[in-house]
Amino acid sequence: MNKIVFEAKNIHKSYRMSKRNIVQALSGVDIEVRQGDFVAIVGPSGCGKSTLMHILGLLDRPDEGILKIDGQDLSHLKEKKAYRIRAKKIGFIFQGFNLIPTLTAFENVLLAGKYGGMKLIDRKERATELLAILGLEDRMHHKPNELSGGQQQRVAIARALVNNPSLILADEPTGELDSKTSLEIMSILKKLNKDENKTFMIVTHNLEVAKECRRIVKMEDGRIVADSMRK
Amino acid sequence: MLEILRNMWRRKFRTILTIFGIVIGIFAFTVMGSMALKLNKMIDGGKRYITGQITISPKGADYMSGTTGMLPVDLLNKIKDVEGVEAVEGGVSLAVDEPDPDNPTAMSFGEPATIYSFDPNSNFKNKNWQTMDMKEGKLIDKSSAEDDISIGINIAMDKKWSVGDTVAIRGREFHVVGIFEKTMTGPDGYVFMNTNVARELFVGQNPFLKSLKDKSNEAAKISEKELAKLPVATRQQIVEAKSFKVEDVSTTASISWEDGVDPEVVVKRIKDEYKNDVIVYSPKEMGELIDKASATMNAVILGSALLALIVGLFSIVNTMLMSVSERTREIGIKKAIGASPRTIAIEYTLEAGVMGLVGGAIGMGVGVLVANIINNKMASKGAEIFLLEPSFLIIVVIFSFIIGIVAGFLPAIRASKLNVVDAIREL
Ligand SMILES: Nc1ncnc2c1ncn2[C@@H]1O[C@H](COP(=O)(O)OP(=O)(O)OP(=O)(O)O)[C@@H](O)[C@H]1O
Ligand SMILES: [Mg+2]
Repeated sequence: MNKIVFEAKNIHKSYRMSKRNIVQALSGVDIEVRQGDFVAIVGPSGCGKSTLMHILGLLDRPDEGILKIDGQDLSHLKEKKAYRIRAKKIGFIFQGFNLIPTLTAFENVLLAGKYGGMKLIDRKERATELLAILGLEDRMHHKPNELSGGQQQRVAIARALVNNPSLILADEPTGELDSKTSLEIMSILKKLNKDENKTFMIVTHNLEVAKECRRIVKMEDGRIVADSMRK
Repeated sequence: MLEILRNMWRRKFRTILTIFGIVIGIFAFTVMGSMALKLNKMIDGGKRYITGQITISPKGADYMSGTTGMLPVDLLNKIKDVEGVEAVEGGVSLAVDEPDPDNPTAMSFGEPATIYSFDPNSNFKNKNWQTMDMKEGKLIDKSSAEDDISIGINIAMDKKWSVGDTVAIRGREFHVVGIFEKTMTGPDGYVFMNTNVARELFVGQNPFLKSLKDKSNEAAKISEKELAKLPVATRQQIVEAKSFKVEDVSTTASISWEDGVDPEVVVKRIKDEYKNDVIVYSPKEMGELIDKASATMNAVILGSALLALIVGLFSIVNTMLMSVSERTREIGIKKAIGASPRTIAIEYTLEAGVMGLVGGAIGMGVGVLVANIINNKMASKGAEIFLLEPSFLIIVVIFSFIIGIVAGFLPAIRASKLNVVDAIREL
């Protein structure tokens, strides 16, 4: 078995709308992610998929529970320090409007490298390499609005990978793409998973997309109701 | 850095309007400030002169017009004997140009050209103004002829007089022997003239003194023998007329004190003894009076700075707050991929700072341009009204950068504190 990169135990999260109205988004989630996993998180709208993703990505804090990344207990990590770990260990891909509109594809990737503390030469080399792998050599110096949705998501993937993170979290990465482009993106992610042993966790509504993943985690009402490996 | 400019350019029109607001503010600041600097400098020169001597004028005459009373030479000689007094020099001053009969009240901005009496034989010296720096030629001295004059730079330029020229003032011919270096103050518009000659001109332009002098001349022709034959009443009148001396014509006098003596003590001694005859202006009191005036000038600078500050500040704050809320999701993404709150805050603060800087540089540039144009127009009249000091201009630009930074502070903090999850959910 591969080593555990992410580990969450008994995660609770609620949103207080008013005094009486409290939304329980997560009520006791346990999950382990191992090096090289390719996980899909599925479930009905509002079941807490995004919330879980934000907590695992240190964007949000749980009310209760334990969170470990690479064995390091981060349950009590201060908000102000979270960004460092986020920069180095976690890569994010969001649904749409992922990129900084004033920066070119290349610069978008470089920026993440900068936040991750990479040297300029290394950043440039890695960004060029990644964009080439993703088939964007000739689009490197285009601004996001000069790229198609699929190309933009590929840039976002390159950006998520530049710091060599332990886990790449993708919330509906294909949400705004047509089914053909969606599958293209999925096959890129799968290839990266296979060739470079990258760990992915993908939130999706799309069953076709979920089918591409080796492990499928089903959520309902803030809980994990099924966690199965395919094949 | 480049990204900051690109971000600013995303909303061209808004950015330009914001910068325009700063341009106006900083333009006003530059122009007002340069004007205040010029005035301050003039005041400062005047202060140095005025606090370097004790000035007296005849009782009953006011210092500004000074023509209604005289300081007889006997009185000045007595004051010379007051303890602590080093030297006393009586003198007169009058306008270089005779008043235009068609337009007697015509005034011009800046100082009118003025003749100052100058006594090369006196050992009076202003404590702060030892000598004049000369641009050309020399200051009139003991070796000068009575019709030699030294003139200020503005006079030289206005009247196109140069060293060696023979020129006419109030119907008399004079020789220009020197031109002072620009002082930015009073002497630029002065003609320094031998006291005896200046007194004659002064008497010539004053009808009362003129008739007195004519009578005296008439009286002088009458010999003692003839005088004795005349009736007592007439005799007395003629004796009185005879006693008129041109040296008695002093509208003001400058007094210097011996080294090591407190001038205020000397002022008090003169006051105690001659308070019925003269008004004494103490260097300290005059200095304080001038300080009050320059405090007003500085309030003008500060006021215009404040105005620029408020106008610039608010327009930048407003624009930046708008930018931050427009870029909520972008900020969220930056934070998600690992930007520290500090990085975000610096980015927005700098963007505001650059707006301030650009607006400030343009505003300052336009201000300098306008001030220069006006200065050039006024220079021919010898009355430049702006002093464009490089250090002040640099401060203006730095100041506008700081305004930007300060204005950007609140929006930047707001951006840096933005909740990532909220920002990302907002689509
Ligand atoms: N900021 C918030 N304030 C209040 N309630 C929230 C907030 N964020 C999420 N919720 C609630 O928490 C629950 C879980 O939301 P979450 O976004 O995690 O669902 P999801 O599974 O990602 O849904 P979807 O598939 O529609 O994206 C929902 O009921 C949602 O309304
Ligand atoms: Mg969601």
